[in-house]
Parts: sequence; C-alpha cells; structure tokens
Amino acid sequence: MASAAGSTAPAAVHQGVAPLRAGQGYSFLLRRLHSLSGIVPVGAFLFEHVLISNATAISGPAAYARQVQFLASLPLVPLLELFGIWLPIAFHALYGFYIWYRGDGNTIAYPWTGNWMYTAQRWTGGIAFAYILWHTWTMRFTGVDLHVHPEISFGKVQAEVLQPALFIFYVVGLIAASWHFAYGIWLFCAKWGIVSGEKARKRFLAVCLGFFFLLSGVGLASLATLRKYPQQPTEPGTAVMNNKQITEGR
Amino acid sequence: MANTNKSVLIKIKRQNTPTSKSYWEEFELAYHPGMNVISSLMEIAANPVTREGKATSPITYDSNCLEEVCGSCAMLINGRARMACSALIDNLEQPIKLEPFAKFPVVRDLATDRSVIFENLKAVKAWVPIDGTYDLGPGPRMTAEEQEQAYPISRCISCCCCMEACPQFNEDTGFVGAATIAQVRLFNTHPTGKSLQRERLAALMGDGGIQECGYAQNCVEVCPKDIPLTRAISEVGGEVMKQAIGDLFRR
Repeated sequence: MASAAGSTAPAAVHQGVAPLRAGQGYSFLLRRLHSLSGIVPVGAFLFEHVLISNATAISGPAAYARQVQFLASLPLVPLLELFGIWLPIAFHALYGFYIWYRGDGNTIAYPWTGNWMYTAQRWTGGIAFAYILWHTWTMRFTGVDLHVHPEISFGKVQAEVLQPALFIFYVVGLIAASWHFAYGIWLFCAKWGIVSGEKARKRFLAVCLGFFFLLSGVGLASLATLRKYPQQPTEPGTAVMNNKQITEGR
Repeated sequence: MANTNKSVLIKIKRQNTPTSKSYWEEFELAYHPGMNVISSLMEIAANPVTREGKATSPITYDSNCLEEVCGSCAMLINGRARMACSALIDNLEQPIKLEPFAKFPVVRDLATDRSVIFENLKAVKAWVPIDGTYDLGPGPRMTAEEQEQAYPISRCISCCCCMEACPQFNEDTGFVGAATIAQVRLFNTHPTGKSLQRERLAALMGDGGIQECGYAQNCVEVCPKDIPLTRAISEVGGEVMKQAIGDLFRR
C-alpha cells in the first residue's frame, strides 16, 4: 500500500479488457471477409483441386495430363489464379495468423473438445499454409511450367511424391488442409447463424467430419496412385504422349 | 465422510492492492460435511491464521447470495472459472487452489473489477425501453414459445465466467464476451425490447464485437446457469449478418 501511495500516477489507469467499441473500426468487415474467403474462393478451390483435378490422377497419367491441359486452357488463367487463388489465400492466411496471434489458447485449463478444435483450427491452418507455400513454389513457380507442358504433369508430381520425406509432407499438408476446411465449414455455419441449434450443430458436425474423410480419402487415393505408377517422364519432349495426342485422346 | 480428523488444504493467491505483487498463502481447515469454498473463506475470516501458524488478514472476496443467483463470487477454483458458493469441497481435488480471475483487474485478493460487463451491457442497450412521460399501457404479449426461448437467457447472473474462460476475451481483442451477446438475443426477443434491435445488432459490429468469437465453446461449458450461449451467439451472428448485408443493399 505504501508503494501505491508513493507512486506519482494515481490508480486512474484502468487495466483489463476494454468494453465493446460500438460503431468503431473495421474488424467486423475483415473478420467476416476472412470467414467467407475460407469458403469461397479458397475452400471452393481446395474442393476442385483435391476432389476433381487431382482425383483424375486415379485414372492415370493421360487423364491427369488432359485435366491440366483443360485448366491451362481456361480464359485469363493468370487473372483467375491471382484473384481466385493467390490473393484470397494470402489474405486468409495472413489475417488468420493475426487472429491466431491475438487469441489466448487455454486448452490446459479448459480441455474440452470445442476448445481443442479452436486450437487445432489454428495449427492446421498454419501447417496447411507452410505446405501450400512449398507446394506452389515447386509445382507452379519453379521447374517445368505445366501449363505449357501438361503432358509431364504426372511425372513432375511423381518426382516429389516418390520421395518418402516429401510424400509424408504431402500427406500432412493434405490432412491439415482437409481438416481446416471441413471444420471451417462447420465454424462458418455456426458463426453466420446458418446452423444454430445445439442438435443441428451436432448433426452438421457429423456431416463435416464425413466431408473431411471424403476430402482426405480421395486425396490419399490420388497420392497412392501417383506412387503406384513407375516414374513417368519429367522433361518436356521425353513424354510418351505429346500435346496433339492428348487432344485427340479426349 | 464422518472422518473427523480429515482436514482441508486451501492455497490462495493474494494481492494487497490493485498494483502490488501477488503472493500465495496456505490454509488448513478442519473438514466437516457440506463445506463449500465460500464457507471455507468465512472460516478463514473467523480465524485468519495460515497453515504455518502465522497471523494474517482475512481474505477479500465478493459474495452475496450464496446460492448461485447473484454472480458475485466467481473466481478461479483449481484453475477454472466458477462460482465459489456452489463449489463443494467434497468435489474438489486438494490442495484447493483459489485465484482471482486472470482477465479482470484485481481489487484485492480474490475480488476483481468486472465492471466491463456493465459497460458492455450498456453499449448494446440491454434493457426494455419503457421510460416515458405517460403510461404506455400494457405491452404486447409474448407467445409461450418466445418465453421458452427467452427464459434460459434471462437467468444470466453477469458472473463473467464465460468471459474469463474464453480464449478470445483479452486485452488484444477487447471481445465483448458471450454473456452480452446472449443478452442481445434476450432483449431482441422481447416484444417491446425489439424496438432497439437495430441499434443492438449495430453495436455488436463494432471493434470487439461478435466477430471476435472463435467458437471455442468454453463459455457454454463453464456457464453456471446453463445458458445456451453458443446457440445465442449463432442466432445473433445470423441476425447481425442479415442486417449488415441488408443495409448494404437497402441503406
């Protein structure tokens, strides 16, 4: 008490959490944009990437090459990639890290499922982002451009997937991203009032869990196929099929 | 149970002033059936001597009703936010650790300043506006279904357990907390309270508003009154979005 009396500043400084700042700031817009961007376009892209495009690997190298060729033939691919994939992922990830930084996880004191999922959502997001950075760097930004040489797509992915360490990274990245998206759909529906009641939320959680198994299951099946085949050509010109044959084979 | 030699060991985190350093003191009490944390603190007040036999001051704490309806005696008991009056010694692991709430300024010992919830309730106008210069007459009737929805939320005792346990409630976010959001749901359900619905939902869009919820769901687990807090957050979240998107096109 003597120390309090001796200090120059009286106890006017109010500590603790600030009250609600009604009518102030842009955090509502940013948080809701973050929430929405996880579903559209980032989640929608993940859905297409795992369940449609990469699932064609299960049908073999030729089908895979045709799918890559189709994607490369879409109009304004660089703009689609920039505004449909790169910028939304960058925003979702960077703002997500900011959200992670501002939260105080407390699973030790309150070890309940929902609280663990809160923490898991942050870690899976972080792991998925690390994977995505590496994956886009090696697949899209370096090495042979698959939009120019779709015929070696299968071989280029195989070159990574056949290495045990990188295969494990693929599996970890796939499962982290699948969980983050599946539980993210549940969170989105809970926060936006789409699924609000206790029973409804529980039922919908089972649906999202099923979606997680579908997404990661199809992804694992694609990876298994890529490992099953012998290494396909990885250099342009050495591929068994050329672009002309791919087009004719359609 | 009838073992008269049994004793109760309680460790209490104490702090003399809002700015001074905290310290721990241990107390040993004779066990008797039906003890709870508040009755133990009363016994310590009657004989404020630590386990080592050193005379000390009685513990400062908030309490009033002793039956879990006033919301005063919330504190951290064995690390978890709960009401001290309903924390039976028989159900607690010993030594029992008592601490003040960690996210609210300490007044002294276990007493904290939880006035932030009052500021939050004011910010969302958590009341039914009936003040006027003449008698407005009886208000519209509530249906039985509306009453059933509203009653559980009306039991809130402003204890702030939901806020203390929330990973998003901290000085960085300034999150409003589950209790206040649930009260928005309550007063927006009320036939007369509804008239302030727009203002309440708009207030929850400010910084620290409903968007800060991370849906960890600790609030609904710790709530001593079993208020459907996560349901209220979802429903109010939907209303807030409807208003935000609606205003985008209509205002």
